[in-house]
Amino acid sequence: MSIRETGRRLRLRRTGLIPPDTRVRHYDELSEEAQVLVRELAGRPETAPETGELDDGDVVKFTDYYQVRTR
Amino acid sequence: MSDSYVIVGDGIAGASAAETLREQAPDAEITVLTDEGESLYNRILIKEYAKGKLPEAPISIHQESWYDEHDVDLRLNTVVVDIDVEGDAVHTHEGETFEYDSLLLAIGGTPQQLPVENADADGIHHFWTFQDARRIKESVEDAENAVIVGAGLLGIDFAAICGAQEVEAKYLMRGDNWWRYALSEEGAEIMHEAMRERGVEPVFDSGVDRFEVDDDGHVEAAVDPNGERYECDFAGVAIGLNFNTELVEATPLELDDGVVVDEFMRTNVDNVFAAGDITTFNDLILGDRAKNGSWGSAKEQGTIAARNMLDYGSEEFRWVSSYSITHFDFPFLSFGHPTLGDDSVEATTAEGEWRRVALKHGKVVGGVLIGDLSPQSAFKQLMREGRDVSDQTEVLMEPGFSVDDLAATTEQ
Repeated sequence: MSIRETGRRLRLRRTGLIPPDTRVRHYDELSEEAQVLVRELAGRPETAPETGELDDGDVVKFTDYYQVRTR
Repeated sequence: MSDSYVIVGDGIAGASAAETLREQAPDAEITVLTDEGESLYNRILIKEYAKGKLPEAPISIHQESWYDEHDVDLRLNTVVVDIDVEGDAVHTHEGETFEYDSLLLAIGGTPQQLPVENADADGIHHFWTFQDARRIKESVEDAENAVIVGAGLLGIDFAAICGAQEVEAKYLMRGDNWWRYALSEEGAEIMHEAMRERGVEPVFDSGVDRFEVDDDGHVEAAVDPNGERYECDFAGVAIGLNFNTELVEATPLELDDGVVVDEFMRTNVDNVFAAGDITTFNDLILGDRAKNGSWGSAKEQGTIAARNMLDYGSEEFRWVSSYSITHFDFPFLSFGHPTLGDDSVEATTAEGEWRRVALKHGKVVGGVLIGDLSPQSAFKQLMREGRDVSDQTEVLMEPGFSVDDLAATTEQ
């Protein structure tokens, strides 16, 4: 997993709506670094530097569905 | 003339091999043969589809157009019936022959059926393919009560599906707790409670002696070895896989609960490789032959196999696998080989948090984390480094454990 030098921050927002055109990733598909990030951000109002593995709008299945938002 | 590569199987192992071959050998002829009617999909997420949580579309990974764009000849619904390793060719059920310079077998497994009466009745489901998931979803949506058999990592998916679809279920287990080979009763009870909260009742020291069917041949009950009868209009059976080795039984390929490969994913025939569930591989971290069915392991094996098909000996498969369960409001993760080893240490680290680490000759070979996955990377690091922790096992159980907590004297 690479850290993009964009200065953008990533957060995870719980979601129940998964549109058909969404890229959905399961926790087990992610690199160890991205898994750490998901564990730390899931369900918490925190942010982390954007990663090269998760894009804005992606959904991650962990203990719930979380939508990736970057800004 | 360019080299030709034939891949049998379009799961993640076969598909990652095709991707790697195309990246590293732009002129190669690549053919992928699969007996399924659809191209690569996300096998980890099909349980979410069956739960009714995901639509179909996000589960597809490679549209058929991907194969055209990457100049990969994909043949769906194509069953390989014979491998001629002397003639470097495979033959299909329709009489086609595909010759190869190098062959990859990523042929996986098939769910085992219970060896009991009426085990193939309507309403009794096994769970492996996307088509299975579609049938399960349709069947469970019409069900009122269910029986689940198979107290392991695949069986619990059925429990989660029943829970999500609000079907009351009895989860019949032969032992006294779920996944008894990796969890003690203390750890398993966290999982049992999560099942109960979703309307799935674990039944211990049970199992299935036979299924009963109605006049239409549809399952209506399971009877356990104690004579207890459990009514059901849906049954989910997940007792393990039969590896699809029948295809290679008439060949010189070495078999040992799968196709035996070295750390380069090569079989005992120089131009035949294997990857994914089907392999019994030389696990460099465990120091023994091993099997692994996780998504990450299969993907890595496909990639490593492809690199060695192009340049044998170029890269070893050296991987610590993990598999998570994300059905509940707490996470569960198994890593490495939690059912192996000659010793183990376990602890409840906080309410709802439990961990167990399996050791072999003082080195971590696997484990299970429930509730708190934060030590996951540390334990995997210890496995990769092969550190002897036999005199500090209690440190492994500390909340917030990191590798730095171990005394430097244990470094190898």
